[in-house]
Amino acid sequence: MHKFLRTLIPADIAKGLSITGKHFSQVFFTANRRKVPLHIVSEYPEVPAKVQPRFRGRLTLLKDEQGEIKCVCCLACEKICPTQVITIEKGKKEGRKMPFPVRYDFEMERCIFCEFCVESCGFDSIILNHQFELAAYNREDFSLGTEGLEQNMFEPSHAGKFSVADD
Amino acid sequence: MPTPTLTQSIVITLIQCLLVVIFVFVVVPLTVFAERKVLGHIQQRLGSTRVASGHVGFSGWMNRSMWKMGRVPVLSYWRGIPGLVGDVLKLILKEDVIPAKADRFVFFIAPSISMVAAIVVFAAISFVPGTFFTLPTWFPFVGGLPVSGGIADINVGLLWILGVATVGVYGIVLAGWSSNSKYPLLGGLRSAAQMVSYEVPLALSLLAPVVLSASLNFGEMSARMATGMPAWALVPQVIGFLLYLTCGFAETNRLPFDMPEAENELVAGFHTEYSGMKFGLFYLAEYINMAVVSALASAFFLGGPWLLPFGLQGLVNPYLPGFLSWFGAPHAIFFVAKIIFLLFTYIWVRGTIPRYRYDQIMAVGWKYLIPLALINLLLAAAIRCFAV
Ligand code: SF4
Ligand code: SF4
Repeated sequence: MHKFLRTLIPADIAKGLSITGKHFSQVFFTANRRKVPLHIVSEYPEVPAKVQPRFRGRLTLLKDEQGEIKCVCCLACEKICPTQVITIEKGKKEGRKMPFPVRYDFEMERCIFCEFCVESCGFDSIILNHQFELAAYNREDFSLGTEGLEQNMFEPSHAGKFSVADD
Repeated sequence: MPTPTLTQSIVITLIQCLLVVIFVFVVVPLTVFAERKVLGHIQQRLGSTRVASGHVGFSGWMNRSMWKMGRVPVLSYWRGIPGLVGDVLKLILKEDVIPAKADRFVFFIAPSISMVAAIVVFAAISFVPGTFFTLPTWFPFVGGLPVSGGIADINVGLLWILGVATVGVYGIVLAGWSSNSKYPLLGGLRSAAQMVSYEVPLALSLLAPVVLSASLNFGEMSARMATGMPAWALVPQVIGFLLYLTCGFAETNRLPFDMPEAENELVAGFHTEYSGMKFGLFYLAEYINMAVVSALASAFFLGGPWLLPFGLQGLVNPYLPGFLSWFGAPHAIFFVAKIIFLLFTYIWVRGTIPRYRYDQIMAVGWKYLIPLALINLLLAAAIRCFAV
């Protein structure tokens, strides 16, 4: 009997309709006047996306306070990388005792973002930053190195520059 | 007022047809557009606010800063219209594939059946009983003649509407069958069963206005239901209204009754094999059907071209100030406003209620709606017998 009445009287439907109707009118009429937006989706392309701190994005080389590349060419990352996308060439630089990577190539199209390289590095000289917009038109654009403006390992990519919240 | 000759009345009828076609082809895209926006708002997704907004340049910068302030860019109220244009272009430009083993003729004609059945219904819907407006005298050939508010306010308008509207299901069933594929066939069969189940309570719930108004003429029915009735006599018709709306939802295959095209179960249902403008015709037919159901509901239960539903207009009229007196007259704007509200309700319900299971739909149709419709009819008959 109870079930019969519940089916007969559309109270549940009315409740649902009132909830959705409330949401609709709130969004529709006050969207531009509220301090706190009502919707819970992120406004991603317009507002930089916030990713979790442990998010693994693109590999980036770090520099120390003097602006020197921290990497000392121990090749630990190159060895541990399961997809072998890191290629390092040892070299020398004036006024630096440690070896200096004259070439540090990172082929992003095959990287699986496992973070093994970062963990293996004993000198904290690489991180995976928070960039996730890694699309590019050509395969060559995925080969990142230490030189050049377009594809260097120190800065966010062009897409990333626009929308990633870098902390 | 001069009596029109035959040619003149034909021209006037053509004008009326033009008005109705314009109405249909304005309402349908607006419904499609509104559907996205309203659903987005209801589910707080802000759907369709992105199309036509750029990330670059001045407007992109404006957008970004407004978003950062936690505001929806003001222009987002119209944003999404390019999506509509894209939809139409896509429908028109898409390749029209016919499955190899399909029954080509039936496959070809099924969408047109749906579409024609949906549009022809408008012939008997009168937006305003009697004269809608009088053409100005400078108008060539037919100047000074009255244009009525519907194409043909025939005596058995309701029968015509019900009869023709039911033809639409042939389109769906034939489409499902002629595609020669399992999913469309299942969709068509489900549609047939659903139509059969819901046609009964639909007709029964529309019988109550017939009983109360003692007429089958569309204009007369809406007039009597809106003004010729004491207000309390319309109270039982709230049940009738809800019944009619439920059955109307089912008849137009809208959520939560979209059994024929249940995407999760049947790929896309009866129009799985359709593409291009053939699919577009089904799409159009669905939205026109929505408008038809809304028109009937607003005419019979919400007071049609009169201002207020349930005969409240008669109660309010004496208190209306003089300059508002034209509100009392039948007015197409009220009718259209009610249609628009009911179309909104369609989308609103779609955003709220999930799709029923198939057996649930059948159970609701046969076990609840038909008895309820009969009880409603009995109530109407009692009112008719003892009160009106
Ligand atoms: S994240 Fe993994 S795959 Fe990518 S470079 Fe580092 S070790 Fe190689
Ligand atoms: S593990 Fe660190 S220090 Fe060693 S080569 Fe790689 S980046 Fe350079």
